[in-house]
Amino acid sequence: MRQILQTAELLCTRCPRGCLLRVKVVESRVAVEGNECPVGEKHAAEEVFNPRRIVSTTVRIVGARLPRLPVRTSEPVLKSRAIDIVAALKNMVVEAPVKAGQIILKNVAGTGVDIIAERDMERA
Amino acid sequence: MKDVAVVGGGPSGLAAAVRLAEKGFDVAVIEVMGELGGMLEQCIHDGFGTKVFGETLSGPEFAERFVKKAYSLGIQVFLNTYVKQVKAGGRVKEIVAVSPSGVQRLETRAIVYAIGCRERNGFEIRLGGTRPAGVYTAGMVQRLVNLYGVLPGRRILIMGGGDVGMIVARHLQLEGAESILIVFPEAGFAGLPRNVQQCVLDFGIPFKPRTVVKRVIGKERVEGVVLTRVDEKWNPIEGTEEFYACDTVILALGLVPYTGELKLGVRIDPATRGPEVNEFFETSVEGVFAVGNLVQVFDYVDDAVETACIAARGVEKYLNGGLKTSPVRLAPSGKVRMIVPQRVEWVDEENVVAFLRPAVEKSNARIELRSSGGKVLERFFRRYVRPSTLERIEVSRSVFSGQREVETDIADG
Ligand SMILES: Cc1cc2nc3c(=O)[nH]c(=O)nc-3n(C[C@H](O)[C@H](O)[C@H](O)COP(=O)(O)OP(=O)(O)OC[C@H]3O[C@@H](n4cnc5c(N)ncnc54)[C@H](O)[C@@H]3O)c2cc1C
Repeated sequence: MRQILQTAELLCTRCPRGCLLRVKVVESRVAVEGNECPVGEKHAAEEVFNPRRIVSTTVRIVGARLPRLPVRTSEPVLKSRAIDIVAALKNMVVEAPVKAGQIILKNVAGTGVDIIAERDMERA
Repeated sequence: MKDVAVVGGGPSGLAAAVRLAEKGFDVAVIEVMGELGGMLEQCIHDGFGTKVFGETLSGPEFAERFVKKAYSLGIQVFLNTYVKQVKAGGRVKEIVAVSPSGVQRLETRAIVYAIGCRERNGFEIRLGGTRPAGVYTAGMVQRLVNLYGVLPGRRILIMGGGDVGMIVARHLQLEGAESILIVFPEAGFAGLPRNVQQCVLDFGIPFKPRTVVKRVIGKERVEGVVLTRVDEKWNPIEGTEEFYACDTVILALGLVPYTGELKLGVRIDPATRGPEVNEFFETSVEGVFAVGNLVQVFDYVDDAVETACIAARGVEKYLNGGLKTSPVRLAPSGKVRMIVPQRVEWVDEENVVAFLRPAVEKSNARIELRSSGGKVLERFFRRYVRPSTLERIEVSRSVFSGQREVETDIADG
């Protein structure tokens, strides 16, 4: 008998229909139920083996008009790392001026991805 | 005297201003806050700009593209300036605005209103109980967290399963809230599946469908709420009341066009709750246009910005003395909850872009435009429609010729 390694329920986000996908992982393959079209199968495989998100948060900034600078990961990261990434930025302080796209922290929480500023912040 | 005054410096207002300045008109933007960018400044998550720029940006990144363009085109920007009064009856329109430097008068030939929407509040749903500290609207929480780094509380109850509520839940989860519960009267989340998955399910945030807050409890500060289950008609089910301990109640009850802030008597559509507009987003007052979330609440900022770009063409026609014919009414019916624009009246060649909200959920649907005699004039096929997703259609001009009213409906495919 083939072994079911993992089961999951997730919503397909590829179109407004939002099918509820019931996913079974069987020997490094996914078996999907509940999808109305083939896109759901591809989506389920990606979400099970490599679910990635852009993580956004803010860091403290001094010398600017506002006390917080919005930042994000430069690329999507494994979603399970979101909490660690925000924690790694908790005590970070940057100084104005900052330019949009500027790297604020390299290789955040060992993910290999950088944290970049989402906007310009001039010195006030 | 200006050619155009744009009221509201969010993405829609800026898009209109930039387009008009690029056409060579003398444009001013009047913004009540200390900064341009509108609602997007606090939307630090990604997902903006997939239609306009073909990439996914955060709110501030999306806004910044328009802000930079506006300044580089030399558009005059009035910040911290509130529009108090407008006289728009004649060819020359007058705006009276208040700012820290005093009362200002501005004469202009056309006005574009782009003041967005406001959040529904606790009074509108007759939220019961006491009035302690710790009750916030979702937009206010988003502002506190993302602009000022202030957490409104630790144990959070969110009322409302729309996109804004879900996005705020994720912000709070990441920024260190101890507990979060989302409640809503519908059977499922009203927002986009993308947000259900990425904001709620990704973090295992608990939620209760068919549940509402009966009353808020607390003297100085929120101590909790009484929750009650509701039936399909949202009537409370007796005997289902339970106490839920929390220190913060967040109202994510939806957005309404900010029409109360329009200082002139334009006609309002009860279905959209925004001003009625023609195909170039001109209101019932000639030379006064309304764009973006003021006209109706858009799911995507990209669509809001498109209305601004269409309006810019309309302003150009208006200022150059373009011609109108007798208006054709564009009306919703049966399975369509609302449609924008509400009338078509300019002499023009191009297709008419319309946005409509389905009243039903349906696969293999046909959006139909019909004459008042019931003849199908044009149809659009959709794999799937649902109320939470606004549909954009491009209607051929010829559909309107010889008609007085065109009805939209959704039929089986
Ligand atoms: C929590 C949240 C999450 C969102 N997430 C997404 C998303 O993921 N993707 C997406 O595409 N869209 C999203 N949106 C929608 C997006 O924010 C809007 O579509 C967009 O901001 C609409 O732009 P606007 O210019 O019409 O209005 P706004 O951005 O609201 O701008 C209106 C401007 O007018 C100003 N104003 C108001 N009254 C006056 C007055 N009397 N005088 C002068 N100025 C005035 C305001 O200060 C403001 O700057 C989200 C919205 C919210 C609230």
